[in-house]
Amino acid sequence: MAPGEKIKAKIRKNLPMTGPQAPTIKELMQWYCLNTNTHGCRRIVVSRGRLRRLLWILFTLTAVALIFWQCALLILSFYTVSVSIKVHFQKLDFPAVTICNINPYKYSAVRDILSDLEQETRDALKTLYGFSEMKSRKRREAESWSSAWEGTRPKFINLVPLLFFDEHATGKVARDFVTGRKRKVSGSIVHKASDIMHVHQSNQVVGFKLCSNDTSDCATYTFSSGVNAIQEWYKLHYMNIMAQVPLEKKINMSYSAEELLVTCFFDGVSCDARNFTLFHHPMYGNCYTFNNRVNETILSTSMGGSEYGLQVILYINEEEYNPFLVSSTGAKVIVHQQDEYPFIEDVGTEIETAMATSIGMHLTESFKLSKPYSQCTEDGKDVLVTNIYNAAYSLQICLHSCFQTKMVEKCGCAQYSQPLPKGANYCNYQQHSNWMYCYYKLQQAFVREELGCQAVCREACSFKEWTLTTSLAQWPSVVSEEWLLSVLTWDQGQQINKKLNKTDLAKLLIFYKDLNHRSVVENPDNTIPSLLSNFGGQLGLWLSCSIVCVIEIFEVFFIDSLSILTRCWWQKTKEWWARKQSPRCPEASLSRRGQDNPAIDIDEDPPTFTSALRLPPAPGTKMPGTPPPRYNTLRLEKAFSNQLTDTQVPDES
Amino acid sequence: MHVKKYLLKCLHRLQKGPGYTYKELLLWYCNNTNTHGPKRIICEGPKKKAMWFVLTLLFTSLVCWQWGIFINTYLSWKVSVSLSIGFKNMDFPAVTICNASPFQYTKVKCLLKDLDNLMEAVLERILAPEPGHANANATMALNFTVWNYTPLVLIDERDPHHPVVLDLLGDNYNGSARGRVCNAQGCKVAMRLCSLNGTVCTFQNFTSATQAVTEWYVLQATNIFSQVPRKELKKLGYPAERLILACLFGAEPCNHRNFTSIFYPDYGNCYIFNWGMADKILPSANPGAEFGLKLILDIGQEDYVPYLTSTAGARLMLHEQKSYPFIKDEGIYAMAGTETSIGVMVDKLERKGKPYSQCTMNGSDVPIRNLYSSYNTTYSIQACLRSCFQDHMIQNCSCGHYLYPLPPGEKYCNNQDFPDWAYCYSALRRSVNQRETCISKCRESCSDTKYKMTISMAEWPSESSEDWIFYVLSKERDQRDQSNNSSISRKGIVKLNIYFQEFNYRTIQESPANNIVWLLSNLGGQFGFWMGGSVLCLIEFGEIIIDFLWITIIKLVAFFKSLRQKQAHARYAGPPPTVAELVEAHTNFSFQPDVADPGVYVSGQALPIPGTPPPNYDSLRLQPLDIIESDNEGDAI
Repeated sequence: MAPGEKIKAKIRKNLPMTGPQAPTIKELMQWYCLNTNTHGCRRIVVSRGRLRRLLWILFTLTAVALIFWQCALLILSFYTVSVSIKVHFQKLDFPAVTICNINPYKYSAVRDILSDLEQETRDALKTLYGFSEMKSRKRREAESWSSAWEGTRPKFINLVPLLFFDEHATGKVARDFVTGRKRKVSGSIVHKASDIMHVHQSNQVVGFKLCSNDTSDCATYTFSSGVNAIQEWYKLHYMNIMAQVPLEKKINMSYSAEELLVTCFFDGVSCDARNFTLFHHPMYGNCYTFNNRVNETILSTSMGGSEYGLQVILYINEEEYNPFLVSSTGAKVIVHQQDEYPFIEDVGTEIETAMATSIGMHLTESFKLSKPYSQCTEDGKDVLVTNIYNAAYSLQICLHSCFQTKMVEKCGCAQYSQPLPKGANYCNYQQHSNWMYCYYKLQQAFVREELGCQAVCREACSFKEWTLTTSLAQWPSVVSEEWLLSVLTWDQGQQINKKLNKTDLAKLLIFYKDLNHRSVVENPDNTIPSLLSNFGGQLGLWLSCSIVCVIEIFEVFFIDSLSILTRCWWQKTKEWWARKQSPRCPEASLSRRGQDNPAIDIDEDPPTFTSALRLPPAPGTKMPGTPPPRYNTLRLEKAFSNQLTDTQVPDES
Repeated sequence: MHVKKYLLKCLHRLQKGPGYTYKELLLWYCNNTNTHGPKRIICEGPKKKAMWFVLTLLFTSLVCWQWGIFINTYLSWKVSVSLSIGFKNMDFPAVTICNASPFQYTKVKCLLKDLDNLMEAVLERILAPEPGHANANATMALNFTVWNYTPLVLIDERDPHHPVVLDLLGDNYNGSARGRVCNAQGCKVAMRLCSLNGTVCTFQNFTSATQAVTEWYVLQATNIFSQVPRKELKKLGYPAERLILACLFGAEPCNHRNFTSIFYPDYGNCYIFNWGMADKILPSANPGAEFGLKLILDIGQEDYVPYLTSTAGARLMLHEQKSYPFIKDEGIYAMAGTETSIGVMVDKLERKGKPYSQCTMNGSDVPIRNLYSSYNTTYSIQACLRSCFQDHMIQNCSCGHYLYPLPPGEKYCNNQDFPDWAYCYSALRRSVNQRETCISKCRESCSDTKYKMTISMAEWPSESSEDWIFYVLSKERDQRDQSNNSSISRKGIVKLNIYFQEFNYRTIQESPANNIVWLLSNLGGQFGFWMGGSVLCLIEFGEIIIDFLWITIIKLVAFFKSLRQKQAHARYAGPPPTVAELVEAHTNFSFQPDVADPGVYVSGQALPIPGTPPPNYDSLRLQPLDIIESDNEGDAI
């Protein structure tokens, strides 16, 4: 006999009844347990004694449970990230640098538009604090501003009255600054005329009242200090007025690049106003962005240190400052990406005059993984808010856009300090008489997260961050002041017709401290291969199981068991049918038993030696009288109908 | 012969394996392997067999694919990062302090006299272009040797097609510029840089006169100072006892002797506290300003070189012990008349070297000689970049730049010995190519320590305390140094507090993300998941392959044997063999057909035993007899 045949025979001997041929579920199970590759099952069958078997069943079940638990944990923790921090040393792109004068417009240019407002502000100051004259500003004295005042009716105060509240008295009493007329705020009227000069008492506050159209619905805003109140009040009216001025006129009223930048030096090479692009900010006027020119390559730095960065000397003309709008002097600078919108009012660094401000930068890039790892967005396209800025998506842009859109929806007009959405106009009294009230209401709702903007907007997935180290030094030094100022005056040439003062100038140095830049990158902690190998580890550890075992289990428990069940059921029906056809034959059921159990005695046969003595059948011998085992012919591969007819044959015979 | 026997024995022993044909071998393997799939193939019926065959193949390829992925991941040398934040007892950083002005003007006045005169004349020309001005004779007194190497010129661009270039102090200036008032819009000040005896010239343009004159002055001053030996230069700078007025570290008093002096060409004498070169490194165990370093400095603003530096203040930098301070890049300013408080957090990054990243541990494997090693400092990327620049400078201009250390045997550039150096230097400095080669050659250091500073400022001294503080400080200084007679004022005094923050360190440490254990457990996991296999299964497989090879070898041997016999057969000319003969020849290789004439038989070949056919029972086997015996043994099992 050839070894191949031998092996085949051995296999046949070992596996007398393959899967589906096993006549009962129990045998199938036994067969499965003995032959499966999974380790626990075999023990169950092989073990002797009930306790041991029970223990093995328990162990196997525990192992299965553990596998399920551990695999569930693996799946649940699939979407986790690990963070890696890398340091690169390379040539770095220089960021865009936006520089603004804190004062938006030259006061001499904008004075005509704001003259009425200025008058009323002064008057309010006079009536409230007895302040009458700006001594520090010589130029103000030259212009007679009080002459025009007499004839005109105050329009701003009437629109949004500045009020003076006296909480000291019983009930709240407000006093109008201009008319001196008392207004009832809550309930009772107080007859005693309160003295204006008592502002310094702590329980007297200043504020203003905003009313909607019908004036029945009013909101009062109070401030602990008159400085805040007047600035807020002024700003409100200022926005109103400026909203009606066309953009071109505003750009002309503001500073030109040649005026703002006295000298410019980048990477050891001279630069000038042409290297800067204009960016008009509603609240800061003309701002200039360095290294942001369209269709030009982004400048890069290949050396660290202040010599190789941007050095500019700025001309801050303090005389042209608006006294009520801005109270500090200097410039604002912001470092940002080329396609990013510079939020000067939010994140700018302020620069002092007569100082050299040295800003050392350090670049950190962050990359987050978007869905399904986190909620961040790659480019903002999947965020429901339309981006009204002409810049790349950021969380701040989204929030501002969201607010602006809501503003247009609710109040019918757009807020001045943000860009215009399509088809909207900036708010002003003429068209939208109660916009201020609406705006303040909306602002409060926004802060309290009632508008849903914070919920809709999502952070951006990647961002660059420049960590700034700012330090100051005196500039120009005592000994170099004289020559430096005269040369700078010559440089400025015809832009101004006076000698520069050092308090009109500010020096700014922006540079990379070194060319190391860090990138913080999120990586998926788990990949499909590692998940599978973890599964494999768990399956192997507890049961020495593999995907083959899983297929086996599926095969045995579903396909084979089902086929056995179907067969049983089919035979039962057939029997039932046969009984129905021939009710005289009640023994039919016995023959069925014979098929289930080949060792059973069948009464019809004449008793043999073994059956008579009820001895167990000799192993390996065929039972006399029992139909020859046809199991081998029962293959799962065959159609069930065929098999059934096969099995039926001995029954009938 | 002996060897052959031994080999034959080995062969037999190995051959006592699973079978003698490929089919038997495969069957045996499938039946006995511990890998889960193959067993199914032979246990099942024909259709299922096919299914299991496909499945097994699929799983095998899946395992191979996944293994490929894992091995690739392993070979990508990824790192994982661990971050720790907290407070611990740490070495206080080294603090380098410089004055923004490199030299005291009173001491360098004689050196810079000619240059200053020229500068004044230039400024006068620029600001007041009207000729016939009062001091025409003063121009005559100027020393033009310095001027002639790199003169400043005025480029008149009012006619954009024909720009007129005028030497600012030249003889033709008065004549041609007469009557033309030039301002910044029409005229540009530029620097003329020439080489090869003035035959090749370029103009370095500046958009503002301020820059032009400053750059020009710095270039000329560099030229002057580079001719002075370093020892002399040190004497010209600010001495420690003049700069450092008071020092307090924690509760311990310290003075200017605790500082190590170093000459930094940009800022003159710099003083380093706690450098750790000679002294023990000072630790700091507590956060807060009380336990840090407190310094009072006098920058002496009145004694600044007026044209060299326009910014007044102290320069300050925190760095690691034993590292060279590159103050110009990473330093910060401290303003006069203020108290600057600096809270420090140490931000340390430690990286794995090769093969995980390209960083270098100590700079020994970088192809550039570190010129700063003469200071006994550790490697840093800045040191490498500057050494690289100096190398290029020496290659191109054959002299070293004043700002960087000199390699042995080279000289600093100056106008007398190297008249072309300014031209060469400015070309090199603007060359992007040069920088990029340096960047590509230099590698960053594996451990990178940054000191994150939180800077705040307040006015100091307060108006009420001003008088006594100035009095005490000037009294003290007079005791130390009688020669100085400048008074201490708000314009020169700087107070510094440097201390650790509450969380004083943040360490980012790299560790290998995928080690060999990770790789093995993943390989095992994959193999186990798809096929329930292990390393033993691989060994099994290897065994089978060896068996396979043996079978092949045996078959080949038999084939060649038969071939040779057939050839021998072919040589024999005679009648074609009968069918019976053919059958015999096919089953028995020893069979030779009967021949009519045995005398023709080729000599050297054994004569067949006539009449008796060879034993036929092993006719199915091609092997020699002893192997057949083993077959019988196999049967018995």
